[in-house]
Amino acid sequence: MGRGASTNSIPEIENARVLFVIGSNTTEAHPVLALRIKKAVRKGAKLIVADPRRIWLTKLASRHLQLRPGTDVWLLNAMMHTILEEGLQDEEFIRENTEDFDAVREVVARYTPEEAERVTGVAADDIRGAAREYASERHAAIFYTLGITEHACGVDNIWSLSNLVLMTGHLGYESTGLNALRGQNNVQGLNDAGANPMYLPGYQPLDDPEIRGRFSEAWGVEVPERPGYRLDQMISGMQDGRVRAFYLIGENPAHTEPNAAHVEHGLAGLDFLVCQDIFLNESARKYADVVLPASSFAEKEGTFTNTERRVNRVRRAVPLPGNAREDIDIVLQLARALGANWPDYRGAEDVWNEFADLAPNWSGIRYDRLEEVGLQWPCLDEDDPGTAYLHAPRPARPSGRGKFYPVEYQPPIEEPDSEYPFLLSTGRTLYHYNSATMTMRENGVTDKQEDPFVEISPEDASALGVVDGDWLRLTSRRGSIEARASVGDRVYPGLVWMALHFEEARVNLLTNDVTDSLIGIPEYKVCAIKVEPVAPALRPAAR
Amino acid sequence: MARTVEFTLDGQRVAAPEGELLVHAAARHGVFIPTLCHDDKLDPYGGCRMCVVGVEGSPRPLPACATRVAEGLVVSTNSDVPAYRKTLTEMLLAEHLDPSPGGRPNELVDLAEEVGAETPFVLPDAKREPYEDRNRFMGYDPDACILCNRCVRYTQEVMQCSALSLEGRGPHARIVPTHGYSWLDTECELCGGCLSVCPTGAIYEKFEEGTTRPERALEKVKTTCTYCGVGCQIDLNVDPETKRIVKVTSDPTYLPNEGNLCVKGRFAFNFVHHPDRLTEPLVRGEDGELHPTTWEHALSTAAAGLNRVKAEHGAQAIGVLASARLTMEENFAIQKLARTAIGTNSVHSCEAT
Ligand code: SF4
Ligand code: SF4
Ligand code: SF4
Ligand code: FES
Repeated sequence: MGRGASTNSIPEIENARVLFVIGSNTTEAHPVLALRIKKAVRKGAKLIVADPRRIWLTKLASRHLQLRPGTDVWLLNAMMHTILEEGLQDEEFIRENTEDFDAVREVVARYTPEEAERVTGVAADDIRGAAREYASERHAAIFYTLGITEHACGVDNIWSLSNLVLMTGHLGYESTGLNALRGQNNVQGLNDAGANPMYLPGYQPLDDPEIRGRFSEAWGVEVPERPGYRLDQMISGMQDGRVRAFYLIGENPAHTEPNAAHVEHGLAGLDFLVCQDIFLNESARKYADVVLPASSFAEKEGTFTNTERRVNRVRRAVPLPGNAREDIDIVLQLARALGANWPDYRGAEDVWNEFADLAPNWSGIRYDRLEEVGLQWPCLDEDDPGTAYLHAPRPARPSGRGKFYPVEYQPPIEEPDSEYPFLLSTGRTLYHYNSATMTMRENGVTDKQEDPFVEISPEDASALGVVDGDWLRLTSRRGSIEARASVGDRVYPGLVWMALHFEEARVNLLTNDVTDSLIGIPEYKVCAIKVEPVAPALRPAAR
Repeated sequence: MARTVEFTLDGQRVAAPEGELLVHAAARHGVFIPTLCHDDKLDPYGGCRMCVVGVEGSPRPLPACATRVAEGLVVSTNSDVPAYRKTLTEMLLAEHLDPSPGGRPNELVDLAEEVGAETPFVLPDAKREPYEDRNRFMGYDPDACILCNRCVRYTQEVMQCSALSLEGRGPHARIVPTHGYSWLDTECELCGGCLSVCPTGAIYEKFEEGTTRPERALEKVKTTCTYCGVGCQIDLNVDPETKRIVKVTSDPTYLPNEGNLCVKGRFAFNFVHHPDRLTEPLVRGEDGELHPTTWEHALSTAAAGLNRVKAEHGAQAIGVLASARLTMEENFAIQKLARTAIGTNSVHSCEAT
């Protein structure tokens, strides 16, 4: 629809009348945002949850669409099929504010709810019901997160959702829209800042010579024209020698990327590796040539931008430990050591101002306006109060029209077979945070979840002869790990689920590094595995 | 918008939106009515009767926290109310051996001071059995608990879980983890919400036990939670002597979280002071091990290594990974470093989402 961000704001959620949550385990991934969803339901809203697992929110849901992982496009196309069949679309919005509607009409005509039931496992009546409820309520809002983007067809899923929103005109006013829930604290800010091989700061395309010229002039250095490598290309580049050195800041790709063994092999073969972090992570310990001790959020000034595009201040509360330095100082000093001729920044605020001067959608946001409460971009000048919801009065594309993109279903790249009969899906839990270097150090947090665990249905557990707490061995075509069985009906027979974040059982050794061809998001969510009980004598010693 | 109505407050004609809680309407007109069991996050409850006011036509006084403004209401807060409030406060105090253990802020003690109530005597069965919970975040001190039920209502209304219950009667009444022996055995997600609404510090933070300062002397620094994209606004409470974070609080006026937090934002801050933190730059030596060194040496080694790769294989052979944990400003500087100091657009991150 023209912007990589949530359309609406968090406080608006509680006034929505229909909430469609797809691929988001909100109570665990975004707990405080989930409180608004709970509040909305308490105020009488209908909640529709589409998720392969019986996640907590399904307790409050009026419908749980328990689809097979990776079949989102089928489900969404069938919902649109119903909407068009029953004439529930917003004709006026489609006519005035969108383009290419007919292409989508043509495609979804072939996706009947009955056929969808066969592919997704969701009853046709439920699909129809969900479509009617969503389409006929004006204050209907969609929420999605990694569940929907971490598929090889992740971009397709987002187009499907966008089609659904445009078709019903659920855009450009309060308590509606299409809301991407951003995972980590500052993913939004990271992307806004231009840490991207194709975009300069503020989503300004690198391939536009005029824009490149503006940055080159501001920085006094020619900005290279050649697009950079995406992460997945950098990783494959480490294998074939295109990439020889890395500067890693606060990241441990050997843990967070799919097919971890492959990444590790690449890091081991580098000519030079610089790591900058607050803890010595595994990759750094083994392969770094230089390790730079950095700052935690409590030791620095700056901003994080949250999922509703709100720029919030980060403030220094405690001193740095030992000789550690603020990340921003390290980067500035390293730039100087590399021979760059940068201006003298007095601190984070100067860096922000340089960004805001170069990125029009942020130019009205300055530190002195962020003292009490953060501002939501776009915010064009000092008098602009910021933007609570996007696409008002019209979709924010140059044409002023939202574009429909027809999407056809593509089956997941790896499906279960006789040798690897289980479908493994992955995600996060409440108590940990990605590679867990931060939260695994919190004693009280690990009281709730210590050992790596894998969710498995009671049917599959009894077929394997294991009970809750027994150790299981999980093997994919790429690797093998062990975890304790957590037996319960959160998953259905044939599906197992595991969290992303245990050092001793890195689930990413199993997953698939096939990436979405457009933006390079790896297929974390679905891969085929086999599951075997671990003989008691071979279990890791109790900790 | 609600219709505006007129009512009488202590003899004055005043206006308010129809249906507004009396306690709010009065406050806007300068009449402060103390509350104890009331919390704006929770449904009107009217349990402790601390906020009662006289209403014409009603045989009994009514709680201002649970009575809504209507046209023609005649309200009085100054006849018998102050005396009643004082007696009620004294009765509550009499039920507790030590209403404020550990010197934690306590709305009951504050109120007693304000209305001039004193502990007249302590009931013989006042001391409630202490309670130990094996979770490491929160403790419960029955002796400070006034049974206002705010904590239980928070779990039911905001978290919508069944973790806590009010059990027993009279001197045996207390808050307990539902059907369990510990918070950890319940549906509790350790969000600390019950703790944040407790007016007396009966539910308290265990982290605080080792601090050198009373809670009121902690310095608050407002910042943004470092864990997820909700971006909750928090106050880091720092002990000014040790310069360590003692606890995290939030305020109901903060956006977007309105004072609510989850387990990570509220309790997972010890990593900041963890002994495993890196404190010295390290450079790998001839022996293949990492050794501590000076910043000057580390930075020049890093720059020389990157420049060497650039000279031999070109700038595109260097990848830079930024991070969603870092600030906006840091990420901006990092991409600028890649593009101008190294000369490549190969800057990305593990978190495109
Ligand atoms: S623990 Fe606190 S909030 Fe709960 S009933 Fe007791 S005093 Fe009220
Ligand atoms: S900590 Fe949170 S989840 Fe646990 S009992 Fe209190 S309010 Fe409920
Ligand atoms: S407190 Fe919890 S919900 Fe709020 S930003 Fe932090 S991690 Fe997210
Ligand atoms: S505050 Fe009103 S009854 Fe308790």
